[in-house]
Amino acid sequence: MNTSLTTLGNGPMPGPSPIAGGGLVLAVPSKGRLEELTRKAFTNARMAIARPGGARAYIGAIKGQPHVTVRFYPAGEIARGLIHGSVDIGVTGTDLIHEAAENGPENVVFVRGLGFGEADVVVAVPDSWIDVTHMADLADVASDFRARHGRWLRVATKYVNLTRRFFAEYGIAEYRIVESAGATEAAPAAGSADLIVDITSTGSTLSANALRVLDDGVILKSEANLIVSRTADWTPLRKAQLEAFFSVLGGVPAGISTLL
Amino acid sequence: MKTASERRAALNRLVESRTVTRVSPPLLLPAGPFFDLAGEEFGRALLLTTASTGIEYCLRPDFTLPIAQTYIEDGLVGVPAAYTYLGTIFRQQDGLPVEFEQAGLELLGQPDAGNALDQVLTFARWALAIYDINAPFVRLGGVGLFESFLAAADISPAWQARIRHRFGHPDAMARVMERLSIPRERNAVEAPDGREAVIEIVTDAMLQGGLSLVGGRTPEEVADRYIEKQALDAAPLSDGTLQLLQDYLEVEDSAPAALDRIWSLTAAAGLDIEEPIQIVRNHAAALQALSPKADVIFDASFSPRLDYYTGVVFEMTNDEGEVLASGGEYDRLLDRLGASQPVPASGCALWVDRLEQEATR
Repeated sequence: MNTSLTTLGNGPMPGPSPIAGGGLVLAVPSKGRLEELTRKAFTNARMAIARPGGARAYIGAIKGQPHVTVRFYPAGEIARGLIHGSVDIGVTGTDLIHEAAENGPENVVFVRGLGFGEADVVVAVPDSWIDVTHMADLADVASDFRARHGRWLRVATKYVNLTRRFFAEYGIAEYRIVESAGATEAAPAAGSADLIVDITSTGSTLSANALRVLDDGVILKSEANLIVSRTADWTPLRKAQLEAFFSVLGGVPAGISTLL
Repeated sequence: MKTASERRAALNRLVESRTVTRVSPPLLLPAGPFFDLAGEEFGRALLLTTASTGIEYCLRPDFTLPIAQTYIEDGLVGVPAAYTYLGTIFRQQDGLPVEFEQAGLELLGQPDAGNALDQVLTFARWALAIYDINAPFVRLGGVGLFESFLAAADISPAWQARIRHRFGHPDAMARVMERLSIPRERNAVEAPDGREAVIEIVTDAMLQGGLSLVGGRTPEEVADRYIEKQALDAAPLSDGTLQLLQDYLEVEDSAPAALDRIWSLTAAAGLDIEEPIQIVRNHAAALQALSPKADVIFDASFSPRLDYYTGVVFEMTNDEGEVLASGGEYDRLLDRLGASQPVPASGCALWVDRLEQEATR
C-alpha cells in the first residue's frame, strides 16, 4: 500500500516535516481540563483549534493558519518537546518545564501565563511536626536525622529536580528522595517517606492527609503558559511565521523571535 | 618546555612513586553508598543505571569513597596506608554527562596527621609543578578551627549545632545570622506547660494524621525540639557573641594576616583557641614555603559542604577560579563508612584536564 503521508488523516495537514520549508508545530495538552481550557483560550482569541479526528486524534489545525500544525500531546511530553526543540510553541505547566530537565527553563521562553492550571509546588510536612514551620527547621531536622534514626530523612516527590535545587538553596543536603509516581500525599502515612514535595492548587488534599505547607515552602508558583522553544531550528522564515502567529493571537508583545 | 606526553609521564611517575600504592576501583559502582555518604545534593551529579534487580549503579563519580570502603573491607583499619589514583570519573554537569580525568592521593590511618596533611599539600604542589603552574591561587579553610571557635564561644550547644551545620553555605549561614539577630515571634501554637503535655499533643496529632509513632520522628523528638526551639528563639546569642561570629566569618586575607586577625578577635573576647590557630598557621607556612609565588589565602568561612571534613581544607584554583586541586582532612569519613575505630584521613583530588589546559595556555 502506498501510504503517502499527505493522505493520512483528513485535516489540512502539510507534509511530514512542516519544518523543512517553514511552518510551526504548536503542541497543546491532549486531554482533560487542560485541553479544554487551552482550546477555549485559543477560541477566545479567534484561533479555534480543530481536532478533526476527535479526542483520539493527535493532530489538529487552526483555520486560517496553514503554517501551523497542532499536535495533541500529554503535558509532560510538551515540556520535553519544547526543551529539545521538536515542538516550537507549546502550552504546558511551568512546573513541568522546570522538572523535565535541570536546564529546562534556559531552553525556552515563557511568553505569557494563560490564567488557568494554577498550582504551587510546595514542601509539606506532617501537621504533627509542630517544631517545623520553616525550611530552616527542616535543615536542622535533616542534619541529625541519620544519627537519630539510622537512615536519611526521606522526601517523596515526582519533582526531583525542583526539590534538589530548592533544598540545596537552603543548605539541606542530608536527605534522600523517594520517587513517587502518584498519591504522593499518602507517603508519610504509608511510612515510605517523612515529608513530601508536591503540587497543590487548593491545599485540600494536603490538609486531608494531615500535611502542612511550610511558611517559606513554596518552591514554584505554576500555571499553564504559552511557551516557545529556544532550541528549535529557528530560520528567518520560521521566526517571521512565529511573529505573525503571535500578532493574530494577540496579548503577546512583538519581538519574541529576537529572544530566540 | 615539556610536551603533553612528558607531562603525562611525569604525572604517572608521581602516582606510581615507591611510597604509595596505586589503585583503580571499578568503573561501575553501587550508587547506594554515594547517596548514603553525600545525600541527594551530590547524588544529582551521578550517572545512574539500574540493574534488573532494581539496584542502582553509577559510573565512578569519585575515587575517595571506593578507596576508603575497600580499605575497611580489607580489614586494614588502623594500618597506615597511602593510595594514589589516576583515571576517569563521570558526573552530570549542567544536565549533561561529562567525563573527567582525576588523579589524587589518600592517606589513611597515618600516625602523624599533621605530617600527612603536609604530604598531601606537597603532592598537590608537585602535580601543579608538572604542569608549570607555579603561582596558583590557594585558599585554605579551617573546619577544625571553626569547631574549636564555636565550642569556646559563649554559644549554647543547640545553636552550635545549627551554626556548624551551615558552615560552608554562605546563604544558609546568612539566614541563620539573621534569625539570630532578630528574635522571632513565638510559634503560633500555644506553648503548653510541660514536656509531657507537648508529647501528648504531638502524639494525638500523629495518630490523627495516620502516622506511625515509630520508624520516623517520634513524638518525644518533635516535642523536645519544639521546646528547644522556643527556648532558642527566646534567647538568641548575645549581641557581642553574634558580632564576634560575624567578624570571624568575614576574615579573608593572606594566611598569616588572617590568622593574626582571628587570634586578636578571639583573644579580645577572652577565648583561647591558640592551639588550633597554630595548627593552621603551620600548614599555611608549609604550603607557602612549597610555593613561594602562590597567593595563600585563609578564608574563615571556606569549607566543602560535606560534613566528614574535619581539620584543614584547601583548594588551588586558576585565574578563572576553576578548581585545579582540592582536599584536606576528613577524619569523619571512615567513621561514616563504618570503620570500627577512628581513622585519621587526608587527601586531595586533581582535575587533570584543567591542569593540562593550564599547561598549554
